[in-house]
Amino acid sequence: MMTEGGQPRSRSFYVLGFFFLLFLAFLYGPMIVIFVLSFQGPNGGMSFPMVGTSTTWFQGLLQATGRVGDIPSAFQRSLGLALLAAALTAVICVSAGMGFRRRFPGAALLFYTAVASLVMPSLFVSFGIALGFKELGWRTGLFTSGLGAQLTWTLPFGLMITFATIGRFDRRYEEAATDLGANSWQRFRDIIFPIILPGIIGVALFGFTLSYDEFARSSLTVGNQNTLPLEIWALTTAATSPVLFALGTVTTVVSFTVLTLAMLTIGLIVRRRAGGRLSAERSAHG
Amino acid sequence: MNAHSDPGVSGTPVPPAGYKDAPYDVELVAVSKSYAGTIAVDTISLRIPKASYCCLLGPSGCGKSTTLRMIAGHEPVSAGDILIGDRNVTDNPPIARGTSMMFQNYALFPHMSALDNVAYSLKVRGVPKDERRARAREFLDLVQMGQYAERPPALLSGGQQQRVALARALITRPRVLLLDEPLSALDPFLRERMRGELKRLQRELQISFVHVTHSQDEAMALADLVVVMEAGHIRQAAPARDIFEKPNTAFVARFIGGHNVVPGGNGSIAVRADRCRIGSSADQARLTGHVSSVEYLGALVRVGLIGDNGLEAAALISDRTFFAAPVEPGQAAALTWSDEDAHALAD
Amino acid sequence: MSLAAPLLRSAPSTKAASRKPARPWPNWLVSWLQVGPLALVLLFMFVMPLIFVVVVSFFDYERVQIYPAFLLDNYAEIFTSAVTGRLYLKTLEYAAIVEAITLVLGFFVAYYLTFHVRTLRWRIILMLACTIPFFTSNVIRMISWIPFLGRNGILNDAVMATHLVNQPLDFLLFSDFAVILAYVHIFTLMMVAPIVNSMSKIDRSLIAAARDAGANEWMIVRDIILPLSKTGMALGSVLVLTQVMGDYYIVRVLSGGKSAGVVSGIATQLNAFEYPPAAASSVVLLVIVLALVIGIFSIVDVRKELAE
Repeated sequence: MMTEGGQPRSRSFYVLGFFFLLFLAFLYGPMIVIFVLSFQGPNGGMSFPMVGTSTTWFQGLLQATGRVGDIPSAFQRSLGLALLAAALTAVICVSAGMGFRRRFPGAALLFYTAVASLVMPSLFVSFGIALGFKELGWRTGLFTSGLGAQLTWTLPFGLMITFATIGRFDRRYEEAATDLGANSWQRFRDIIFPIILPGIIGVALFGFTLSYDEFARSSLTVGNQNTLPLEIWALTTAATSPVLFALGTVTTVVSFTVLTLAMLTIGLIVRRRAGGRLSAERSAHG
Repeated sequence: MNAHSDPGVSGTPVPPAGYKDAPYDVELVAVSKSYAGTIAVDTISLRIPKASYCCLLGPSGCGKSTTLRMIAGHEPVSAGDILIGDRNVTDNPPIARGTSMMFQNYALFPHMSALDNVAYSLKVRGVPKDERRARAREFLDLVQMGQYAERPPALLSGGQQQRVALARALITRPRVLLLDEPLSALDPFLRERMRGELKRLQRELQISFVHVTHSQDEAMALADLVVVMEAGHIRQAAPARDIFEKPNTAFVARFIGGHNVVPGGNGSIAVRADRCRIGSSADQARLTGHVSSVEYLGALVRVGLIGDNGLEAAALISDRTFFAAPVEPGQAAALTWSDEDAHALAD
Repeated sequence: MSLAAPLLRSAPSTKAASRKPARPWPNWLVSWLQVGPLALVLLFMFVMPLIFVVVVSFFDYERVQIYPAFLLDNYAEIFTSAVTGRLYLKTLEYAAIVEAITLVLGFFVAYYLTFHVRTLRWRIILMLACTIPFFTSNVIRMISWIPFLGRNGILNDAVMATHLVNQPLDFLLFSDFAVILAYVHIFTLMMVAPIVNSMSKIDRSLIAAARDAGANEWMIVRDIILPLSKTGMALGSVLVLTQVMGDYYIVRVLSGGKSAGVVSGIATQLNAFEYPPAAASSVVLLVIVLALVIGIFSIVDVRKELAE
């Protein structure tokens, strides 16, 4: 593998390559351990050795018993919240990204506010929102303060990716469209949007996963309905059984599924643009 | 004029009325462009006669692309007026100017097929799908790209992309087609072929082409009107032959090439290199020095000479003349020309 | 047949020539409409809550009640308490160690990906391999170290098997070691991505030119790649530092409650409903974080980096 180019490999390639493999092992090793341990037998504990294999702990997730909260509903809530956060992040970021292409008074202030929101310790944001709601006499809730708190995290991240995406967009396409008579809305709908679509899917993907896995900003703002990460957190301090690992496996599989779907979609768009197989009558622009 | 144009043109409802009577397709009146203090284009005026092929020629940074973009409406002018066919379009958006632009590297929409690219201007105008596809097909046929209609740009070669871009620009029925370095992305062989096709198309369509290039050969081969620009100014605007025969400044003479610029009685003079001879008889010599280079160009041989005063010059002589009395680099030599070939320069 | 035939035919509808898509609003207004939703979310969910925190930091409190006041007591307590001082020191210590490790690790991972992996296909595959864990839960990634590091964990089993030690190492789990390991595990990606972004913009011919001039790989890294990937390193550092300084749950779980940072202290105060001192502590940490970020950003232009 990786021998294209003809030149012989220097020793540093092998040294760094070994180092890189170690890094990958470091990244994935613990996750794999969790995955294996989640299939621990009914009498097994939270570490090796495996005492048989079973799906006991996965079944345990479905039953809301004892200290384990209502995992299935928390999962549903998290999924719904993440989907909404993904959609809002994509729409708001693309719109803002288009706005930032022009210079306007206050642009720098807004940009640095977004950066500040990104680097702000998450608990402060959570605390501030909870405090504000309390002082104003409002009740915190999943889709009000909870969603808002997550957006202060997903939006700046999404904005950075949007900037990178729009920055790569060749403005000549836009000028060509202007030249052909397109107005600003037609330019966006027909030219800019389809061309930057892979980037927008990336932004939505970030919005989804950052919300789906978000913990600190949600902690004080979701009201009395827990999200999945908050349930996991509760389990971390309470559970003494591999049910925690089963939950970890499930939530990781969900993340992987979403990631794979997003990547496949992006891949499909890119391949289609490169001209793979085209049906004779393309209906994309009817 | 060509045979195809006569009956059709008079009956063509080219928008708007008054177009066909205007003597000029493009008129620039004291047009300037400055960016944050630096002047890119400085008060230029130019008239491009009806249905002519005009090349804006100059080194990079001379303002030729900016001028083209101002005509297109992609760059607002800082001062001055732009007229297309007698109509002041200075404040009009690109589509309302009667111009159409073919971009450098073509800017074909990567997510649309060739056909959809060409049909796009009809789509934004609300032309029904079947009708716009049919018309786009006609324009693809016009540039011999009919069989590639369904291909995306990524599957087209450079030359094919250029044809599609041409069809896309022409379907808006422009009075003036603007081409930004249209041949620079092609390999030399294809470049010469497409050059011929551009010229042929311009004659067929009887509209004006304004073509930006930094290549003297391209401008000479194509243009009815060559506009030589430098540092935001137009140095000379004239038919190709006039530019070559009578360059008005030392810059133009040097830039279009094939000239020697040497000090004359009052100011500099230009002499075409192909009118110069290498001689040795001291009485006729205009410039004495030694041979610095010999380049064999096929039919011609270019002999470079460095004068005793440090001046560089060259003579283009036929291979027969050269090999009758060959010279070697380093050899003492003199350059000669006759008075009627010397041409006084303005500066 | 004339080539020009299509052009000479009557046009379907050419009213477009007279159409003037005049924009009814000035440009700045259009821009503000486009950035409006972002601005509103940030205003209501970030700026205003922050103002609340700052205001409450001056308030008085008793049990779970807070009272409007203008007291500096909450701040005075932070600067005089030895306990609080230790929390700040611990936070800075974690931040410094993790920053140093992730910077070196991130630089070489990015360098390997960008300059040693030759085919685009492999670069994308390996880059994805590095990025995928970012899309999974931090909490899960944190707890995944527990079966690894525990007394009966995999690492101890491995060490015991080598017979280098005869009893399990206790310092692995529930220690600073575990905390830093998890930080590095979770946050290195935030360092790798911006550095890869910077490095991929470096013109390859610069490297070839340096090699032609006789530079060896180390000189090329030092004289060319390092200076030209500074922006990415700065951006990555900002992300890593702020994440570490803002953490309270990794340190709590993986130190087994033995270590705590500033935010841990704040979380404890919040649990006890001591809002004003928690707010004051937040404001102080905030000032430190912002000073750090502004310091780093004053070296590089982030906006330019992103726009390119």
